[in-house]
Amino acid sequence: MTVVLVVAATVVAALLVVLGLASTVAGRRIGILHLAGAGLLEAVLVVQAVLAGVAMAGGDTPADVPTFLGYLSGVLLIPVAGVLWARTEHTRWAGTVLAVAAAAVGVMVWRLLQLWEATGA
Amino acid sequence: MRERGLGRPAEPAPAGGTTGPARVLVLVYGIFALAAGARAGVQLATRYDEAPVAYLLSALAAVIYAVATVGLARGGSTGRRTALTAIVVELVGVLVVGTLSLADPAAFPDETVWSGYGRGYGYVPLVLPVLGLLLLRRGRRDPAPG
Repeated sequence: MTVVLVVAATVVAALLVVLGLASTVAGRRIGILHLAGAGLLEAVLVVQAVLAGVAMAGGDTPADVPTFLGYLSGVLLIPVAGVLWARTEHTRWAGTVLAVAAAAVGVMVWRLLQLWEATGA
Repeated sequence: MRERGLGRPAEPAPAGGTTGPARVLVLVYGIFALAAGARAGVQLATRYDEAPVAYLLSALAAVIYAVATVGLARGGSTGRRTALTAIVVELVGVLVVGTLSLADPAAFPDETVWSGYGRGYGYVPLVLPVLGLLLLRRGRRDPAPG
């Protein structure tokens, strides 16, 4: 869990929010750019989950392990759910669906960092 | 290339269906069902004795969000009725729990999704049922063609 990764995830998520809202405003469905953005976001989250897992295996654990693991695994599902849900949407709202998913990720990664920095001691 | 990159032109959203704005709401409800459910699960499993009322309320909220998610996603008159019931309960819940948590903080030593009108979740729990009711109302007034 590093601030750098959280910031990276936030930036990608913010871009995806803009991209999603843009296609809603433009009256379009989602395209390759949206899928690429969601893929990149998911990749950052996977790296984060792996690094956190390695750190925890090394004995570096947050105070509230169950909640931390809940967020860590839950956040991985959101971009996937957003893409699946947006791809089958043929109206202009597809982009907003993806934007909402990205915004949720943007909030969750900061909550994750907060949980990580709260040590048991 | 622009078509592929930014998406093909959209189809119009029929009011009252399960597409369009309803789909956005289904995702938000789904995320909240997941969040409230995970939170309740952790709280009940690890420290039930500390604040059973608050934790059971979290679990109840999770169930209500899940029912609303399914109702909105399925649509039709049954789905809409299910969603309406769940959303009304949700609105009453967030208002009652929000008020009680501010009036008597000792009764809610640990946060629930609805504490302080959902301030821990950016007040989305307060706005969500209102949006849900508006959507259901819009659909009823202007039924989907075909």
